[in-house]
Amino acid sequence: MKLEFILFGFGILFCLGGIGYLAAEYVKYLSEVGRLVSLLLVVAMFAFLGRYFEGLRW
Amino acid sequence: MATKRRNLFLYLALACFLGIVIIFIADGYLGTYDTVYIIAGEREEKVEPDFWLRGDRTWSSGVDWGEKVKFKYEVDNRWFRTYSAEVAVSVWHSQEKVRDLVAQDIQVAPFDKERLEWVVDTEELMPAEITPEQAYNYTLIIKRGEVERKVVLYVNPSYPPKVPLPVR
Repeated sequence: MKLEFILFGFGILFCLGGIGYLAAEYVKYLSEVGRLVSLLLVVAMFAFLGRYFEGLRW
Repeated sequence: MATKRRNLFLYLALACFLGIVIIFIADGYLGTYDTVYIIAGEREEKVEPDFWLRGDRTWSSGVDWGEKVKFKYEVDNRWFRTYSAEVAVSVWHSQEKVRDLVAQDIQVAPFDKERLEWVVDTEELMPAEITPEQAYNYTLIIKRGEVERKVVLYVNPSYPPKVPLPVR
């Protein structure tokens, strides 16, 4: 059980690392509008995730 | 009811994530990008597409007097249809055209690249009244359809070798 959690943790870390790398690589090609909309979507995404975990009583 | 509402937040978060990915692909990856390589002597400078995307900007580069500068202009077509445009390169000084260097139609297949090369001979372009001790500059204008890129070439003066003082 513990090993599974560790593997899940690694998986999540690699996913976040990959997305972070792609974001850093391609954010420079985005237009000003694209950057603004992406920022708003990131804020909204974390807000919704927060509400979701709040519902789970985390 | 509470579970439905909670899941709704999760779906909304996923929709936002999907939106970000779509923006990165449509706005960040797809399109036509150009890269300029400036090779003078042993130095190679690479002007990345993001430099040109940050507004109306001019790249500056310094070369030695009489040096030949090789340019490579790469057009990267990240789109589903063939990109075609006329590429015209000219050298300017004080708002006056000195010479046309390249005038060529290019066709770039979808998700492919096309490269043009030319050489700027600074000595050949130099006016007769300019001596090697004087600095000079040129503006290279690369026109690709409606898009215009400017590169300023600063030609550094060539100082005469110092003559050693006679020994007394």
